[in-house]
Amino acid sequence: MEKQSGNGKIGAVLVVGGGVGGIQAALDLAESGYYVYLVEKSPSIGGVMAQLDKTFPTNDCSMCILSPKLVEVASHQNVSLLTYTEIESINGEAGNFNVKLRKKATYVDWEKCTGCGVCSEWCPVVMKSEFNMGLGSRRAIYTPFPQAVPKKFVIDKEEEHLCHAACRDACPLHMNVPGYIKLIAEGQNEEAYKLIRATNPLPAICGRICYAPCQEACNRGQIDEPLAIRDLKRFVTDYTDVEKLESPTVESTGKKVAIIGAGPAGLVAAHDLALKGHKAVIFESLPKPGGMLQVGIPEYRLPKEVVRKEIEYITKLGVEIKTGVEVGKHISLGELRGEFNAIFIGVGAHQGMELRVPGENLPGVGQGVEFLRKVNLGEKIKVGRKVAIIGGGNTALDCARTAKRLGAEEVTILYRRTRAEMPASAEEITAAETEGIKIEFLVAPSRFIGDKRLSKIELIRMKLGAPDASGRPRPVPIEGSEFQLPINTVIAALGQVAKTDFVKELGILLSQRGTIEVNPGTGVTNIEGVFAGGDVVTGPAYIVDAMAAGRRAARSIDAFLHGMPLPVEEKSEPQKLTAEEIQRLKNRFGEHPQHKIEEIPVEQRKGFEEVTLGYSVKEAHEEADRCLAGQVTGCIQCLECVDRCEAKAIDHSMKDTFEEVKVGAVIFSGGFECYNPSELYELGYGRLPNVVTSIEFERILSASGPFQGVLQRLSDGVPPQKIAFIQCVGSRDAKHNRPYCSSVCCTYAIKEAMIAKEHSTVPLDVTIFFMDLRTYGKDFDRYYERAKEESGIQFVRSKVYSIEAVDSTGDLVVKFTTEDGVTKTEKFSMAVLSVGFESSPELVKLAKKVGIQLNPYGFCQTKPFSPVETSKSGIFVCGAFSAPKDIPETVMQASGAAGEVSTFLASARNTLTKEKVYPPEKDVKGEEPRIGVFICHCGINIGGYVNVPDVTEFAKTLPNVVYAERNLFTCSQDTQERIKKVIEEYKLNRVIVASCTPRTHEPLFRETIRKAGLNPYLFEMANIRDQCSWVHMREPEKATEKAKDLVKMAVAKARLIEALQPLSLPVNRSALVIGGGVAGMTSALTLAEQGFEVYLIERGNVLGGVARRIHYNLDGEDVQEFLGRLIKQIQEHPKIRVYTDTWIVDVHGYVGNFTTEIMRYRGRVIEKIDHGVTIIATGAEEYKPDEYLYGRDPRVLTQLELEEEIVRENPDITNCDNLVMIQCVGCRNDERPYCSRVCCNEAIKNALELKEMKPEMNIYILYRDIRTYGFYEVYYEEARRKGIIFLHYDLEDKPRVSQERKGGQLLLRVQVKDKVLGDEVAIDADILALSVAMVSPPEVRELAMLYKVPVNEDGFFLEAHVKLRPVDFATEGVFVCGLAHAPKSLEESIAQAKAAASRATTILVKDAIIGEGIVASVNEALCSGCGVCEVLCPYGAIAVDQEKGVSVVNEALCKGCGTCCAACPSGAVQQRGFTRKEISAMLDAALAGV
Amino acid sequence: MTVALNELDTKFKYDVSNEPGGENIKLCFACGLCTASCPVADIDQNFNPRRIIRMVLLGMRKEVLSSDTIWFCIQCYNCQGHCPQNVDFADIMKALRSIAVREGYVAPSFVEKIKEIDVFCQKLRHEMVSAIVDSRSRGAEVEPSGLAKEALERL
Repeated sequence: MEKQSGNGKIGAVLVVGGGVGGIQAALDLAESGYYVYLVEKSPSIGGVMAQLDKTFPTNDCSMCILSPKLVEVASHQNVSLLTYTEIESINGEAGNFNVKLRKKATYVDWEKCTGCGVCSEWCPVVMKSEFNMGLGSRRAIYTPFPQAVPKKFVIDKEEEHLCHAACRDACPLHMNVPGYIKLIAEGQNEEAYKLIRATNPLPAICGRICYAPCQEACNRGQIDEPLAIRDLKRFVTDYTDVEKLESPTVESTGKKVAIIGAGPAGLVAAHDLALKGHKAVIFESLPKPGGMLQVGIPEYRLPKEVVRKEIEYITKLGVEIKTGVEVGKHISLGELRGEFNAIFIGVGAHQGMELRVPGENLPGVGQGVEFLRKVNLGEKIKVGRKVAIIGGGNTALDCARTAKRLGAEEVTILYRRTRAEMPASAEEITAAETEGIKIEFLVAPSRFIGDKRLSKIELIRMKLGAPDASGRPRPVPIEGSEFQLPINTVIAALGQVAKTDFVKELGILLSQRGTIEVNPGTGVTNIEGVFAGGDVVTGPAYIVDAMAAGRRAARSIDAFLHGMPLPVEEKSEPQKLTAEEIQRLKNRFGEHPQHKIEEIPVEQRKGFEEVTLGYSVKEAHEEADRCLAGQVTGCIQCLECVDRCEAKAIDHSMKDTFEEVKVGAVIFSGGFECYNPSELYELGYGRLPNVVTSIEFERILSASGPFQGVLQRLSDGVPPQKIAFIQCVGSRDAKHNRPYCSSVCCTYAIKEAMIAKEHSTVPLDVTIFFMDLRTYGKDFDRYYERAKEESGIQFVRSKVYSIEAVDSTGDLVVKFTTEDGVTKTEKFSMAVLSVGFESSPELVKLAKKVGIQLNPYGFCQTKPFSPVETSKSGIFVCGAFSAPKDIPETVMQASGAAGEVSTFLASARNTLTKEKVYPPEKDVKGEEPRIGVFICHCGINIGGYVNVPDVTEFAKTLPNVVYAERNLFTCSQDTQERIKKVIEEYKLNRVIVASCTPRTHEPLFRETIRKAGLNPYLFEMANIRDQCSWVHMREPEKATEKAKDLVKMAVAKARLIEALQPLSLPVNRSALVIGGGVAGMTSALTLAEQGFEVYLIERGNVLGGVARRIHYNLDGEDVQEFLGRLIKQIQEHPKIRVYTDTWIVDVHGYVGNFTTEIMRYRGRVIEKIDHGVTIIATGAEEYKPDEYLYGRDPRVLTQLELEEEIVRENPDITNCDNLVMIQCVGCRNDERPYCSRVCCNEAIKNALELKEMKPEMNIYILYRDIRTYGFYEVYYEEARRKGIIFLHYDLEDKPRVSQERKGGQLLLRVQVKDKVLGDEVAIDADILALSVAMVSPPEVRELAMLYKVPVNEDGFFLEAHVKLRPVDFATEGVFVCGLAHAPKSLEESIAQAKAAASRATTILVKDAIIGEGIVASVNEALCSGCGVCEVLCPYGAIAVDQEKGVSVVNEALCKGCGTCCAACPSGAVQQRGFTRKEISAMLDAALAGV
Repeated sequence: MTVALNELDTKFKYDVSNEPGGENIKLCFACGLCTASCPVADIDQNFNPRRIIRMVLLGMRKEVLSSDTIWFCIQCYNCQGHCPQNVDFADIMKALRSIAVREGYVAPSFVEKIKEIDVFCQKLRHEMVSAIVDSRSRGAEVEPSGLAKEALERL
């Protein structure tokens, strides 16, 4: 179609809301030549349908059927998908609107985000998942659900930042402190351990002796006291046995790294390298590994057992530790360099500093580090009675406390400055003092005195002078202040230096202090391949600093070994809170001091037993609860995600942005929200944990839900044995301003009940408490019957009054009154409240701003004859925003709205759209097959039963498979991107997906590989779900074997498959519409208005169909006036040709090119019509009853007959006194087990009309269930208000109608049992109106045969998919609408007719239709022209060419069914894509080894 | 028993709905919540608010107005607080009682007596509750009948 100016109209459309309605509207419009902006406020499209577990009445998995649509719309070249976007304003007028959009800051650059989810795994902030209705959790950085589209992350930020996560910044290892604290607070200690281990390979050690810079930085410390982070870490490690930890298997890189020194730096470096697959060998000069952990820290602070276990785990990763090997003595550094690919030096600083005081060499004077080393290595050391320790650091204190434990009576620490300058930690000082150790300040030794052995020490008093290089005041001796003390042992703990002589051999640069010089960001020395870290670089420092150095070096070494540039670590400074923030936090949380960890009382401390005792579970949880980060409901700016994101996509500085777009029309498809039943106190929601809403229950049932589909109740996680469903919660409730019916709850409750019974691991009873059971949809009544008969679900007609707790077991007592007036209580283990629909407040706000008229309940006001139009021109509506409705009605309306827009904007069609551009197709002919296999977990659908990793490994072993991987959901959008990347990277020329079924997913994957430049037929699918995991749920091992076989077969076939080139067929841009009723006429007009030729075929001699007999509707509109207008428009339209008295005789052709033969005037004229599409709108008719004296008593009429009499104002009727109506006549019975949907409304309509004429008339409506769904409920209320009496009856106890002779009169007596009264009632009726079934005319079966489309058991046309393709057929190019599809209201027929037209438009706008590549082909050399194929082909697609004497295939007609191939006696006919060779290969693969 | 609806007074429902408090009676869709929530129905299965409404709607004027049940309602308004259709059953009871008096089904003195009983019951309850409020520990042990006896003596 050529580009037009658009007559001032803009060829783009805004669709508001990304639920199933919005998606359908967007797809239809995009396919019809319009550019679409699909705006969704949440981060993903999918709407409520994505949250549903299954859909009724087929129990299909909701997400499985929706997912391909999500991907399709997101990848459409003419759809701009704007998620996480809100609409600020819509200005302008029909044809030309200005839309202002606010794109919310995602804080993640979606261009860069790959959707890998690593950020989310590391995010410490756990929040309630909206997708799981708060039952599950998500992180602050998240994507709503696994198959989210787009699969991009957003960060949820709270306005107020409570915590800056300074702990994480302060920790040299950047441990995710808020994360593990939060997990401890939640009682998830194992998870906390995992999180700790992820960044800290020595957690039990750090949990004891780390100097905890995190605590120093902790923001809570500014309020009261810092969080006891170290003790909490210790708590977690106390509760986890590292010896039971499994070690991951890592693929070896073959590289070797020598590590010198088995201290914290070396251990961490080795650990990290091992995890990267490098072989690490540690050389340790001491007899035991651990460095200072082993020989420096005394046992009472750090039990050796803890050290042993943690090191042992590191060796389990493949790290080798050679103890007793001193580099420089037993082996030279040069030798190591020759043998290893890289070297890390982390020998620490183990050399004590000399005192340089006379007498230093006297026995009895010793070195601190040496002293501790000996004690720690188990040497028997004796100390004197009086011991003096010189120094003020932690080593001095360790020496002092150790000396005390070795039996010293008096231990004194001598320190040359004051307490304030002591470098030891405050808690160590306190601990020492508690144990009776004295500290002398401002003294220094000047001489050691003794004869052979130390006996006295001479000290000199000091005073503080000017600050020295360390910033501390320099101690200055006070002249003449010397004094002496008797002392037996002196231990000097002045500090340590590194021993680095051995590195000189390689010319490694040393500092003046003798430490190794390295690049601080990378740890590399001046010699390539040699790295260093820890005390040997920094001089004596803390363990965690050494660990960080080890980590840094490991990262650098890994990069070095891969030949990559060395990554430089950036430092982040911990942030302090502002004074205002502190005040705000104090106000909000109050002050709660730290929970102190318990210690062994001093008097009980024996030997080297560990002093601290650790937290109890309770203490730990309480302490963890103090963490500010745990209190927030949003990002805490810990920046963990920034570090984790490989794609560097995270940007915390992002701001909301604004965008303006111009569109010609708008469709509101904003959906609905679920009612929150908390206000209904008696029903217990919010107060009893086992009372849940139906949408919560969907998530409980869902495999992707918080419990992975394992049915359980919330109080105790126990599977319920008895569930009550309570209907009409927030619906049909005038008291709470929700007088309307939510339309879908009855059927969804049945669905949930059935699924619950299927899922349950224990016998489960379910009762549904309802008022009227409203299964009015197509095939829903059969579903209801199945629920009763097959699933054994109980149905109780009663509104539940209250739900109360029985006792502390979590069980519930439900109180209700049955129809006969008996009040009962019944015990249940769980209750589900079937909550109703309400409109979203945001949508209401927007609609008001835009000026769209809403009804009193906040839903969009529409008119019956224009069901998708709002009150504002150019703005349309679909889905639950116009009234509560089910998925197919939403989809119909969506297509209907798209049809309306398409008509309105026809002049601007194709002005803003782009053509789909594919990369050129690669020619893979003759190439050796390179097969990629993608195996899907389908959540737990496959993964729960089939061992997918196993199958993946197996796939890798198969011939020509060059790549295999597994995916959580192979159909998700991110996986499509992945498949494309893998095709590129591995140069794949065949792709196999092992997953659900080609029926729903093959088109998606074909499209994906086409986008990667492969012919779409180079794709093969192995059905390991529908045909494997689902049918073999109880035998997972066999299912795994079968899955392997299926993959093997697919591979065998894929090796042989070839590129296919389907036909491209031109499209005849005209439509044939069959049926001249309102549906057919509406479809015809919708198409004609867009400029397409339409042939409208009507069997009767007039247009109008059944609507000719409908005169008014419930809203009081004049149907005949509308009909007259419509007929006139049809008759006068230049593009429409009407054929009345016309029958379809024969049909040929295929989508885009049909030829229909018609017979007119009872066979006098036969014509042929060529057309591109067909719409079937053949309608339905009224059932002619033979019950209730119909036809035998003139006073008995059908509703349509009654309506005609009312319109004629027949006084026998309009002036009668007693009128009875009986509902469900001829339907909802064994013969017609379906509901005719409109009869309740029709009965009420006529009853109200009669009441209008004669208010005192007694009208009785005898019903089985009143099914005034949606806003029709308001008319039911109106009918009662007018005094119409409704009496309920059951199928088993139907009303009885008889003629009674009384006083010369023949009475028409109707008798029925009134269950509320408990008595039989009799009404002598003047008129009896029967609400009869709507039936499909028998001739439709013929038509169905001609167009090769199916009808259901009741004779109504069966659409391609009951949920998502409600107007399409599996046969392309044929559509259905109106009563031919199922009973429905005029309003619904109109919407569906527009939908059919819209779907047809997507074909009519195309220049060409791409046919199917999988068609039959004839090997002419083998064909004998026997003609068997021709006889058997159901599509007339193969015929013998009389001239050539061989069969010829018409590829356009061929549907690829394979009948001809199977029948051909000579094997001449083969099906492309399923050749004999290919199938044989599959069979050979399947039978190999059998 | 078969109730012949043609013989009933089908205007009755309009009369009740014209009475103050009775306005919404016709809106009843017979869900039964009134009965389920009724404390009188809890102790007397014959007291069935939904059935009373149905009798009014069908026109059983005589049967309703002469029945004993309309006098058993304790006017607790629980039904009224829960009815999804705003059918104010407690007020309907008042309306029915006043029609019953007006139409001579009961004497005005009978109504006075009922009022007296209600007031007395309130006093009795107040006394009994006071007694256990005064000594909460005793409350658990004392039977209502015992309390009533003591309270009656005090009154």
